[in-house]
Amino acid sequence: MTPMKGKALISGRARGKAVVSAKAFTFAHGVDPSTGTVTDVRSDVKGFNLKDKVLFYPFGKGSTTASSWFLETVRLGNHPAAIVTEGVDLSAVIGSVMSKLVYGKDIPVVSGIPRSSYSTVKSGEEVIVDADEVTLQT
Amino acid sequence: MELSSAEEKLLRGEGGEAKRFAMEIVSAVGDAVGADSLVPIKSAHVLAHYSSLHDAGVDVLERFAESEGKFAVPTSVDPASIDLQQWRSFGIPEEYARQQFRLCDAYAKLGGMRCWTCVQYQVCNFPKAGEAVAWAESSAVVFANSVLGARSNKITAGMDVACAILGLTPRFGMLEDEKRVASIAFKLQAGALDDLDYRSVGFYIGRKAGSRVPALLGLPSGITSDVIKHLGAAAAAAGPVTMVHLPGVTPGTKTLADATNGGAVETMDITRSELEQVQSDLNQTEEFPDLVAFGVPHLSVNELGLLSKMLEGRKLKQGVRMYAYTSAQAFDMAERTGILEGIEAAGARVSHSTDAEISPLRKLGFNVVMTNSAKLAEIVSSEGEIRIRYASQKQIIEEVSS
Repeated sequence: MTPMKGKALISGRARGKAVVSAKAFTFAHGVDPSTGTVTDVRSDVKGFNLKDKVLFYPFGKGSTTASSWFLETVRLGNHPAAIVTEGVDLSAVIGSVMSKLVYGKDIPVVSGIPRSSYSTVKSGEEVIVDADEVTLQT
Repeated sequence: MELSSAEEKLLRGEGGEAKRFAMEIVSAVGDAVGADSLVPIKSAHVLAHYSSLHDAGVDVLERFAESEGKFAVPTSVDPASIDLQQWRSFGIPEEYARQQFRLCDAYAKLGGMRCWTCVQYQVCNFPKAGEAVAWAESSAVVFANSVLGARSNKITAGMDVACAILGLTPRFGMLEDEKRVASIAFKLQAGALDDLDYRSVGFYIGRKAGSRVPALLGLPSGITSDVIKHLGAAAAAAGPVTMVHLPGVTPGTKTLADATNGGAVETMDITRSELEQVQSDLNQTEEFPDLVAFGVPHLSVNELGLLSKMLEGRKLKQGVRMYAYTSAQAFDMAERTGILEGIEAAGARVSHSTDAEISPLRKLGFNVVMTNSAKLAEIVSSEGEIRIRYASQKQIIEEVSS
């Protein structure tokens, strides 16, 4: 397929199976750092594990503690490989910056890819994130 | 992002390790979000509670403190994960308290105001309209932008301390005039509203606005800042909202046209049916609660006074606890004015410097929590372990006391 083009907020390259949410997402209280599993009852990807996955969601929600929940997930090695969003989720950006500076882990963050485009990707399908581009592997 | 020569020097470590690390964080985030420069802030508000910072957050805060960092601007702090004075009597495990006190020590070393509240704007941190600040705490950010007219993005953990140490924040988002323009309006058409309804209004807006800045029309003119506090907190809990234009309340916004800069926007009505939809979504059970929690965000002394009055002559039923969460300052005032005594006489307790959503509720054995806070309902159910009952303060008191 033709790559979806967004804007790399934190540029990098990653490959992994997709976890695709159409709803506002947060790591704060919504992901268990000790496993990387989504616990939020209002999430449409509740029960999915995020470790090494490429996580898609439209925008963030809720607590400004999200970046520290994200960072704890990184500290314990259960973090996603990359994050793709529609709007800019500041907590994903800050979480990724802190991951690099504190634990030396690169987690690319791409925004500007609307739900209507990424909804063609199904959870479990393999995707590649490369700078501004996100490509489904067929 | 362009750095001044003084900022470049900090990045090279000429201002010490804490400022270097802070500048590394702030410049990386600024670059990522497309900020053009760093601007001075009047104040900061940071997070230092163990339940959300976890051990990673202890690493970060201690790294700043051990490298001799000092806050460059007046800095307040969100609630701790335990009542800092009465924690033993609330059954908090020693090991848990120890990690929280590590965060408290690091924060104190950095020179912050030890207010431990999520309503710093009612306690010790008062920016004026137009001033840039770097605040964490989503509910306080909405209050700052919507009621005070100050300018803050939702600064999340890690970045919050970095901004406070530099006294600087990247200029983007809510710091830019054009990003504060409303592009969707909500109109209240639901008749008289109680405490629960206002929070449901906020939650509905947060869910529907997405990344657009909303305006809310039709609030009664006598609305209190406490009601707006809870409405904004609910909006921020449900979505990415950082500001709600409230014509007649928000500085510079007298009319919808002021909020939208004269532009025409989509308007959605909020009727009884939208509020019922939120209420049925947040309410997960009809079980009798083992905990009632009021004060997410923290109750003001006026709200504690109202609670005391509503509990007059009543006693809590067997099997339920009732905790009202507040700041140490409001607790102190409640103690001096007899309000605290009134609440305790009914068998309820007031807990200060902490809050329900960042307390280890599950560790303390609670399974069903009843609250009128949409924010608490959203957060607690996100962890997927505790069941929530969402009801008005009046309904809760009538059910759990007699």
